[in-house]
Amino acid sequence: MNYTREFYWNVGHGVVIPMFTFTAITAAILIYGFIRRIRIYRMGKPLPRLDHLPTRIFRLINRGLVQLRVMIVKAPGITHALQFWGMLLLLVGTIIVMIQVDFTQPLFNLKFIHGTFYLVFSLTLDIAGAVVAVMLAGFLVRRFIYKPKGLATIRDDYIIYGTLFAILVTAYLIEGARMAVTEINQDPYLAMFSPVGLLVAHLLSGLSESTLREMHKILWWVHFFLAVGLIAAIPFTKLRHLFTTPINYLFADLREKGSLATINLEAADVDNFGVARLADLTWKDIFDADACTSCKRCQDRCPAWATDKPLSPMKVVQQIGEVAFFHPEANLIDTVTRDVLWACTTCYACQEICPADIEHVNKILEMRRNLVLMQGEFPGNEVMTAVNNTEVNGNPFGLAFASRGDWANGLDVQRMADGGAVDILYFAGCYASFDKRNQEVARNFIKICNAAGVKVGILGKEEKCCGEPERKLGNEYVYQTVAAENIKKIKGYGVKKIVTTCPHCFNTLGRDYKDLGLDVEVEHYSTFLNRLIGEGTLRLNQQTFDCTYHDSCYIGRYKGIYQEPRNILHSAGGSIMEMAKKEENSFCCGGGGGRVLAEEKLGRRINVERVKMAQATGAPLMVSNCPFCLTMFEDGIKTGGFQEKLRVRDLSEIIVERIAS
Amino acid sequence: MKILVCVKQVPDMESRFKVNSEGVWYDEKDLAFKLNEYDEFALEQAVRVKEQLGNTVDITVLSIGPDRVVEAIKKGLAMGGDRGIHIKDDHPWQKDPWQIASVIAAFARDKNFDLVFTGLQSQDRGSAQVGGILAELLGFACATTLVAFELNGDLVTVRQELDGGMCAILKFKLPAVVTCQMGLNTPRYPTLPNIMKARQKELLAFPVTNFIGPKNLAATERMYLPEKKGHGLVLEGDVNEVADRLVGVLKEKTTVLR
Repeated sequence: MNYTREFYWNVGHGVVIPMFTFTAITAAILIYGFIRRIRIYRMGKPLPRLDHLPTRIFRLINRGLVQLRVMIVKAPGITHALQFWGMLLLLVGTIIVMIQVDFTQPLFNLKFIHGTFYLVFSLTLDIAGAVVAVMLAGFLVRRFIYKPKGLATIRDDYIIYGTLFAILVTAYLIEGARMAVTEINQDPYLAMFSPVGLLVAHLLSGLSESTLREMHKILWWVHFFLAVGLIAAIPFTKLRHLFTTPINYLFADLREKGSLATINLEAADVDNFGVARLADLTWKDIFDADACTSCKRCQDRCPAWATDKPLSPMKVVQQIGEVAFFHPEANLIDTVTRDVLWACTTCYACQEICPADIEHVNKILEMRRNLVLMQGEFPGNEVMTAVNNTEVNGNPFGLAFASRGDWANGLDVQRMADGGAVDILYFAGCYASFDKRNQEVARNFIKICNAAGVKVGILGKEEKCCGEPERKLGNEYVYQTVAAENIKKIKGYGVKKIVTTCPHCFNTLGRDYKDLGLDVEVEHYSTFLNRLIGEGTLRLNQQTFDCTYHDSCYIGRYKGIYQEPRNILHSAGGSIMEMAKKEENSFCCGGGGGRVLAEEKLGRRINVERVKMAQATGAPLMVSNCPFCLTMFEDGIKTGGFQEKLRVRDLSEIIVERIAS
Repeated sequence: MKILVCVKQVPDMESRFKVNSEGVWYDEKDLAFKLNEYDEFALEQAVRVKEQLGNTVDITVLSIGPDRVVEAIKKGLAMGGDRGIHIKDDHPWQKDPWQIASVIAAFARDKNFDLVFTGLQSQDRGSAQVGGILAELLGFACATTLVAFELNGDLVTVRQELDGGMCAILKFKLPAVVTCQMGLNTPRYPTLPNIMKARQKELLAFPVTNFIGPKNLAATERMYLPEKKGHGLVLEGDVNEVADRLVGVLKEKTTVLR
């Protein structure tokens, strides 16, 4: 039996010309809508984003078609994916019908929608519609009944939900009416391949054929206009994400995570730095605002937002969009506000979770750059003092640069200025050099290397701050000044490999200094020591202990190092009681983005929040591997009143106590 | 209006000081140098006058010392100075305040400056004399230790900090030399475009010998670090225990509990 159905049943082929006329108008509105938006995107500066095209296309398929990013957050993500796939099938089905009915059949008398293919086609689309309807109902419940915290509902949501629902209902009524007149009597077997349609057909079967035909004709047009109407609305509503979000995958930042444009300070013609006005942004920054789906996943994970600070990464991105489309003359910094900009810890949680590949952090940093470089503004006088100190003494504390290497007095370590070969250069960083608590970490690291037979060199008083906190606070000038001095020394000594105990130094030396001409292997001690243990060069006595491990942002999210520090803890005899927010979802200590130098004046304390999470695991010990984290947690334990319950220690302190002689 | 701002480059006070081989000044090795803090207030006030009166004001930033002091002058230019004068002297510490003021006066005498700003004192020598002597040598009005400054036409109104929390309001006419105290203003952080522009600004260098006049009136005999008499004591540990130990120390070493 050759299964198929009559296309344009009841409405007749006479609908083709008006249908295509309205479809063409819809397409014109859609294109016009996007051209208008593209004009706005182009108000931003140029930025090439089509290199490595195969990688980009692969990303588009993975994240767009396969919905991998969206599904990371399970319930709403899978609901979205099912709805997307359902709609996609319905779209493909409609296109298949159009190809046969309006092209191959009239032109070549070629028909292919029949037989087994028709059965599969019919069943697939019928079920796809049902899946979309169920998912839509799920979203309705979530948005209007369950109402997750922070989910904003706007006019667009009512339009989209209402229209989509009406489209589905009319689709099944049309199918049901057709089947009630035709298949249900003529071919009951075929009707089984449209189960939902069949159900509707049975409900409608009491009506007379003329009523059904009349209803079918009217609903066919209603359905058509709803569908083209919704398509025409895409550029003007949130639905634009159907195009902008997948395209954003294509335009994603493929550089190493944390890359920030290095400003050419010698460029003679530049008289503006950072971002204050729309024209200071790149087109991609404006496009990001259009790719945002308001899913608020970034906001849910932002440590500043979680502690009652005014920063929501989502709102920052959307405010840029509002300025671009409605107030192009507005000052972005005044719109976003200084308190918001200074609250960011650059922890990257927003960007890591974003299902639309939006780049939140650099937008904030570019606005900070404008504040500092163009207006000489800082989040507070304490920060200005710290930056001035770095200019004078090469460290934010303002301590004598000549005493920078004093922590190493009495240790078996080579000062590079004294000459002699070394295996690695240990770049201690400011905290390990000057902060009493963190000096222990530096000393431990040397002792551990000594035990493993690794010859370590240090720059001592020739080392300067790596410039990371200053850079993240917007001061590219001070960053490049200290960086240039460090690079000169490191290159001068012909260093082959650098190890740091500070994740911020690690990121900066290994990634950011490349732009300034340093290309040396840089490693964090977590992976370095894990390898020494694995190779058997460093042997540890196992002594059992319970602890929880805090993934620092600049080791975890930025560098993807999650397992190595845990391996070390296991090798040392540790049992790790994990916090709920761990690895990619780790919660910042509050010290990133230069915040370690700033007073936390707004909201609750981020470090206390994190200490609470550690304490909730029941572990008596919290282990970290970042000097900022250690400093923030020591403080958080005191201010939060957890002294009796929790201690924080650096990974090196665990190791050094267990070195096997 | 022509303004002169006299600045000095001094070591950061956190540095570790050693007496030099001559035994009359500190050794410059391992010291980090920066702009004298009080001179930053002077620069800021000069720039504010320029902002008040517009571009008819021309600010000259002057410093005496070896090549490193160019950094201090450049910072002044980045904050808003118009031109720099570097009076080259590899051993400025060998000149007493009288001779330093004489050098500046010899430079400034025929330049028709209306207003001279400088710091209350330098953070290293701390004589607080150069401003006053300079005013005398130039025959200008003088006010020291300013915590407020106002200019109306050629009338200057200032608040001067006195001992014991007292202040004096002084009014005088230009030309004048004023020395600036902490609290006068908050010095601005130079913007990057201004730092870049500062590199292009005129910076003239002259050997100090061009301006040498009278000899020192005072000579440094000897410089030495203060003898260690006592030392700080940090008590750490359990609160109760620390309190007991503190009481012990107070009983043993002081008379407050007797």
